[in-house]
This record gives sequence, structure tokens and C-alpha cells, in this order.
Amino acid sequence: MAYVRVDKAVKYFPREDGSEMLVLDGVSFETKEFGITCLLGPSGCGKSTLLNIITGLERLEQGRTEVVSNHRESGKQEPRLGYVFQDPRLLNWKRVEDNLAFALKGMGIPRQIWDERIQKYLSLVGLLEFRKQYPLYLSGGMRQRVGLARGLVIEPEVLLMDEPYSKLDHLTARKLREDTLEICARLKQTALLVTHDVEEAAFMGDRIVIFSPRPAHIADIFDNPLPPLERDVDDTRFIQFKKKLLQSVMRLVKEEV
Amino acid sequence: MAKLEKALVAEGEVGAGLSTGVGALPRRKEGAWAEPIQDVVLRVGGILALVFVWWVLSLIFPPTLVPKPMETFSEVAAIITTGDFFYEMGATLRRVLVGFGIAMVVAIPLGIVMGTLRNLESFFEPPVILGLTMPGLIWAVLMIMFFGLTETSAYAAVAITICPMLAISIWQGTKSIEKDLIDMSKAFHASPWSKVMDVILPQLISHILAAIRYGLGLAWKVVVVVEMFGFSNGVGYQVVRGFNIFSMKAVLAWAITFLVVMIIIEFGFIGWLERTVTAWRPKIEAFRR
Repeated sequence: MAYVRVDKAVKYFPREDGSEMLVLDGVSFETKEFGITCLLGPSGCGKSTLLNIITGLERLEQGRTEVVSNHRESGKQEPRLGYVFQDPRLLNWKRVEDNLAFALKGMGIPRQIWDERIQKYLSLVGLLEFRKQYPLYLSGGMRQRVGLARGLVIEPEVLLMDEPYSKLDHLTARKLREDTLEICARLKQTALLVTHDVEEAAFMGDRIVIFSPRPAHIADIFDNPLPPLERDVDDTRFIQFKKKLLQSVMRLVKEEV
Repeated sequence: MAKLEKALVAEGEVGAGLSTGVGALPRRKEGAWAEPIQDVVLRVGGILALVFVWWVLSLIFPPTLVPKPMETFSEVAAIITTGDFFYEMGATLRRVLVGFGIAMVVAIPLGIVMGTLRNLESFFEPPVILGLTMPGLIWAVLMIMFFGLTETSAYAAVAITICPMLAISIWQGTKSIEKDLIDMSKAFHASPWSKVMDVILPQLISHILAAIRYGLGLAWKVVVVVEMFGFSNGVGYQVVRGFNIFSMKAVLAWAITFLVVMIIIEFGFIGWLERTVTAWRPKIEAFRR
């Protein structure tokens, strides 16, 4: 059991001229335990910044973010977080398995269980037979799968995904979304997925948190009425839910204009 | 359309873990050997042309100025069979390799530091540029005056001559390091050691290889100069000896053996090194999407 709580988060970015730009204007929400929470909002609204804050790469001016987990006492240790990036960001000079080992080493996971872990997560993403291959010999979709396996192999409390499908072609992305959904459901993985694509949010998210344009506040929070493995993009119930999300997002965009 | 379907099937298969080796290994095109053979013929032709020009010159000038190619080659054979070659060449190679090793050990961290830390970049830039401008001959003289006619002065002269060039090349290389990968390594809590060894150095490898190439070229030139100043062995010493007895044949024979060894090292060893450390990069004919 693990989830992320974001409480009245405020973040400024310095501008070139020395003044400050408000990026996050009191953002508060909680993610689901066991399941994917989507952060949906227009590009540049501060969703990715929030992920960087949760990982500790950036700091908040006010408020706090917390990864609540029963694997460790609150605030005692750093949470274990897996990251999947927009580009695969693989070490192209390392074989697929060594890219996973790089993450295991960084997170201080004992070497005896590396092999077992690598095997488990590479077969989950369907790339076990490519474990000795170098990334540049793989297709874009396969490389992104390696990125997913690397995020999962450390068995993170929360998996953070930053628009991981946006650079893939439509069909590859669709297949990878389905697989990610299935894998996360099977592992009961808590995950945060940043996206600007309404259909993707409706398909992937057990909970969808809608960000307003900058300075971001939370406009709406929806829970998906459909369980993960029953979502079908052609089903009327899915389409209805997507419409609901779209209306909420469009309202924000209109306010902006 | 057929292509799209094929791609789809491939993606699907991979997803199911059933793929039959999509993008597995580079395939050779048919007739892929024709090009290398042509290449070899041209290269050998270039060398033969040089020997021919030499032969023509030897017909015009007296043998004391331009000895016959064949006579010089038999001198080369004599040098090799008497064993002089291994002794003299060994001494020269040792000086080059030790000096080169010292230069690498200094230049790699220096280049990385200059490329990553803004303040130290400004601090180290002037000395490095000055060092680069200083002729190798002057370094050789300075080092011999300082250390005397010892092995140390040979090592130091080689190291100090090539170090600035290596550092500059690595320093420039660090500018092409992808910040995204550094962020990735931070997200997975990589240790500083792992960041350098797994993330930064591999991105510098092509710059380091280029630096090794140029560095070796410089090192050969400097070491021969140092040896000419009064060392009692090494290829440079043998060349000076040939000069003192005014034997053009001896000077040329030593020059040729030296060239051959250099070429073996540069094309053989460094070429092998390059192929080994860049095996992860698909060749042009490799299957890549």
C-alpha cells in the first residue's frame, strides 16, 4: 500500500529578468492506493515540475508532498520511486539487462537478487529474450518498454511516468498503454502518470486529477467508473467518461482564452 | 501498407514475448565484401606509388643521398633480424606509453572537471591553452634541463606535450553530454562513481579515442626529439647515429620500421579498441528503426 499526498503545493520559477513566475498555486490532491492516477492538464502547466518535486529533484516554496507507505515509517527514509521518462533515456552503451542493473545498483538493491528481478520485469514487458541486446538495436516502442521495466525493476512504492507515450506512434503507444495498464493492475502498482491527452487519461487513470493552466490549481478530480481491464475505447461507458473529462478540460481552456 | 502491417505484427509479437528477433543483429548486404577489397587495393596502390617515386629519385641522385628502395628494405630486415629493432623500439615504445599513460590520467579528470564546473573552466583554460601552444621541442629541452638525461625527462616531456591536447578534447566532449541522462541517473540515485563510470565516461568515449589518436601522433614526434638529445638507445638515438655517420640508408631504415610500428598501433590496436568500445552502436547497414 502506498500513495502520494500533495498538500497546498506552491512553486515559483525564477524568470530571466529576476522576477518570479507562479507555477503551482496551492495544489492539493491524493493519489489512489494500488492504481494509476493521471495528472491531466495543458502543456507547461507544471505537472512535470510536480513530479520532479515528488522525486526530490526540485523544492517547493510552500506546502508539502509526501509518499505515504506502510513499507516504511513516514518521513524516516526516502521513498523508493521509479521513473519512466518521455524519451526512454537508456544508457545506449549498456545492454538491456545492464540498464536495469544500473537502476538496481543506484537504489542499493542487493546484487544476489538482480538476476531474478531483471528476469521478472523483462518478461513482464515482453523483452526477456532481448536482455543481452543493446538499446539502439531495438525499436522505439521496445526501448520505451525497457524504460518501463527499469522503472519497475526497483519495485518502487510509486511509479512516476512523465508522458511516456507521447513520442511513440499511435499504434505502438496504444499497445504499450494496454500493457502498462495490465502490468500495473497485476502488480497492484501505485503510479502517477502525467499526460495532456484526455483519452489517454480516461484509459489509463483510475483517478484523474485535472490541472488548470498556469498558475496551476486543481480544477477537478474524477474517479474512473470502469475498472482497469474493462476499459475499451469503443465502449459507450468509456466514451461518456472521456466526454466528462473533455468538458472539464475545455472549460478551463476557454476561461484561459 | 504491407510494411505497416509487418511493423504492427512485430510490435504485437514483442508484446507477447514471442518475437523472432526483430532488430536482433545487423545483417550484411549482399556483395558487402566488394567494397573492402577495392579499398585495400587502393591503399596498397598508394603505398606502391610512393615506393615507385622513391625508386625514380634513386636513379637520379647518388646512393648517399637517395639509396635504392630494395637496399633500404634489406637494411630494415637486418635491423629486425639482429634484434636491435626490438631493443631500440622497446625503449621508445616504453617512453611513449608511460608518458601517454601519465597524460591520460591527468587529462581525463581535468577535462571532465573543466567541462562540468564553470569556475574551474575559467581557471584552467589559460594554462591549458598555453600548454597547447608550446612546441614539443621546447618541452623536451625544458624537461631534459630539469631532469637531466634520465628516463623521467622522456616520460615528462611526452606527458606534458600531449596532456593539454587530451584535456581540451575531453573538455569539449563534456559539452555534448546529455543532461537528460544525468537527470535519469539522479532519479535512480546513482552514486557519483557510477555517474562518472556508467553515464559520463561512455559519452566521452569517441572524444577520448580521437584524443588517443592525435595524442599518440604527437607523442611519437616528441619522444624521437628527446632521444636525439643524448639518450643512448631508442629509435631517435639510432636516427642520430645514422646522421652522424652520414648513412642515409640507416636513417631511412629506422624511419621506416618506426612508421610500420606506428601504423600497426594506430590502425590495428586503436582500430580494435574503437570497435570494441563502440559495439553498442549499430553500423550504417545495421537494421535500425
